[in-house]
Amino acid sequence: MRELTYLEAVKEAMSQEMRQNEDVFILGEDIGVYGGAFGVTRGMIEEFGPERIRNTPISEAAISGTAVGAALTGMRPILELQFSDFITIAMDNMVNQAAKIRYMYGGKGKVPMVLRTPSGSGTGAAAQHSQSLEAWMAHVPGLKVVQPSTAYDAKGLLKAAIDDDNPVIFYEHKLCYKTKSDVPEEQYSIPLGKADVKRQGTDVTIVATAIMVHKSLEAAAELEKEGIHVEVIDPRTLVPLDTETIIQSVKKTSRLIVVHEAVKRGGFGGEIASTIAESEAFDYLDAPIKRLGGKAVPIPYNPELEKAAIPTVDDIVAAVKETLNRL
Amino acid sequence: MVKEIFMPKLSSTMEVGTLLQWFKNEGDAVAVGEPLFEIMTDKINIEVESYEEGILLKKYFEEDDEVPINHVVGYIGEAGEQVPDSPPGESGAAKEEEDVSDSRQPQLEDLVQQGITDTTSERTANEPAETEATAEKLRATPAARRAAREENVRLAEVPGSGPKGRIHQGDVMAFTSSHTALKATPLAKKVAEAEGVDLKEVSGTGSQGKIYRADVEGVKQIASSPVEAGGKRVKLEGIRKVVAQRTLQSKTTAPHVTLTTEVDMTEAINLRKQLLGPIEQQTGFRVSYTEIILKAAAYSLKMHPHINVALEGNHIIYHEEINLGLAVAADNGLLVPVVKNADQKGLAALTAECKRLGKAARENKVKPEEMSGGTFTVSNLGMYAIDAFTPVINQPESAILGVGRINEKPVGVNGAIELRPMMVLSLSFDHRVIDGAPAAAFLTELKEALEQPFKLLA
Repeated sequence: MRELTYLEAVKEAMSQEMRQNEDVFILGEDIGVYGGAFGVTRGMIEEFGPERIRNTPISEAAISGTAVGAALTGMRPILELQFSDFITIAMDNMVNQAAKIRYMYGGKGKVPMVLRTPSGSGTGAAAQHSQSLEAWMAHVPGLKVVQPSTAYDAKGLLKAAIDDDNPVIFYEHKLCYKTKSDVPEEQYSIPLGKADVKRQGTDVTIVATAIMVHKSLEAAAELEKEGIHVEVIDPRTLVPLDTETIIQSVKKTSRLIVVHEAVKRGGFGGEIASTIAESEAFDYLDAPIKRLGGKAVPIPYNPELEKAAIPTVDDIVAAVKETLNRL
Repeated sequence: MVKEIFMPKLSSTMEVGTLLQWFKNEGDAVAVGEPLFEIMTDKINIEVESYEEGILLKKYFEEDDEVPINHVVGYIGEAGEQVPDSPPGESGAAKEEEDVSDSRQPQLEDLVQQGITDTTSERTANEPAETEATAEKLRATPAARRAAREENVRLAEVPGSGPKGRIHQGDVMAFTSSHTALKATPLAKKVAEAEGVDLKEVSGTGSQGKIYRADVEGVKQIASSPVEAGGKRVKLEGIRKVVAQRTLQSKTTAPHVTLTTEVDMTEAINLRKQLLGPIEQQTGFRVSYTEIILKAAAYSLKMHPHINVALEGNHIIYHEEINLGLAVAADNGLLVPVVKNADQKGLAALTAECKRLGKAARENKVKPEEMSGGTFTVSNLGMYAIDAFTPVINQPESAILGVGRINEKPVGVNGAIELRPMMVLSLSFDHRVIDGAPAAAFLTELKEALEQPFKLLA
């Protein structure tokens, strides 16, 4: 099978769908000739034309409002926000309109739209362009939240997101864009709400999202040398969350560490930890649940401080050992 | 205002306490700090002191009773105050006034303080020393708790390997494998340890084979009476219990030595024949060999005051009186009524007194003062086919005479073999206070007195 980068996989998912479904179109800032802030849509305007690859004014409120309206009239818009930090401007449309309308009208209208947006730090883009705010969106009923970590997952999950009749927030981690994996050429769909066990293990379960999946796998490889078998689970979608896979894993390993880049305080890790504490896996817990998350600071511009603001591979290794009383 | 006395909770794992003994009787005055009773917990034996002053009004439990923690054991108050007839159950259930519960609080804490050294010493070495074992709630992970539930393990006994002594599932599993899943109550373990019973040989009657105290004691009894396993079981109480305690006490504190000698009873028999009529006329009782032997023993003791002694602490007491105990077999045990100043009494008086005391003892009517003050005891098994035996000293006395049957035996007399009525005397003495030579001299004196009973007139 051929390898694709995450970025190419996202683009391919959109292109393949647009070729067979005329209702799908993309709107966003500089997504046309420029190809978007990270180049995801580069070349798409040549194939699909400016009607379906629509450049917009610099207004996330306008972009999101347009998308909600288009979706209500039967289109399946994909909107791109240059940085997920700007979702704050689109928030009212997403939270008070997109998430609510289908419920408020008893299912008479629906909002089948996807909001794609790059998130996370690691590019030196500083405090206003580096945040991970997915927990906010996960808190709102009516929105689905997807965080793919690999090219394969990105392509399949984006197809499922486009097919979904509800608004989906699709977070693409900036540092994942260049990662590669085997990606089938044909279209495929990965159901929303199905976690993936990225690595099998018996000693401790790590639930990680986005770029932290890769860091956790790196830590797991390191710990394997010391005979510690780590299981790494990527939930892939926060809403809906595949609690069953996590519960079964924790019942097996008796230990849980949750890792995400988002600030630990109020982060989604708290939701996963609580879910396990409430579940039947509780009786199998043999160590306190541990959360690793970003420090409660705006992401610094200084590259060293930027790295230090979020969990590192060393942090994950240490957390695993602490959980196993192996420090 | 009556004050509750209750079973204190002395450790985090304690659920019941066994009342070992009361130090006070109902009606006794009790001062603050005086021991009220002794209890055995799953960890320690401890004397429970009174934190109240007054009269012990009521005791609801007997010795060996198991009392759940915080249950009322009795009441202290002023004479004449009313208390419930039956145990009121848990302390505070009757809801006394506030000051009662207030006054109870320090008591409990003080007791826990007393217990603390014992409980901590039982904790394992893995437990960090700075942890206040009794004060802190047990730390165990949910998985460890689940494993403990499934394996029926008491988490408090499992050494925790985690931070601050936290118990992990692996600790529970290691504990169960090392203890080969022996399930027993703390009390059962304690009893098994005390009685030297191997718990592995005990089959428990509780759930999943959990061993209770009764199971351990059952095995103990079977072991001690292998023939009569399954026979009826009688609680050790009353005289039987006193005899059990006192014989054990005597045998384990006094180094017993037993001397024996054979006595030619020809002259004693003649003496009895001649005195039978007169004494019966005088007292209505037939003089027996017991009285003659008592008389001879009293005479010999007077000649050998080193035998008529008692050990009290670091002092040997030389008794001025010669008070002879007479071992009497009663239905429910052994009684030893005492003939006071036996050396000053003639055979008629001795006969009358011995018959009266023996009857009283057999009918359980002997008074306490008639059983105290003995300085030497005579135990006569001559009515049975017993030649000799090794009697157990009746403490605080220091010697006891065992009397066998009178039996015709061939003995050498002046170069000829004659049949003579012979009787064995066995003298057990406490070697701490009596040496072999004086004991031998005493027994020789006694033998001669019986062989030449006119000596008793001296």
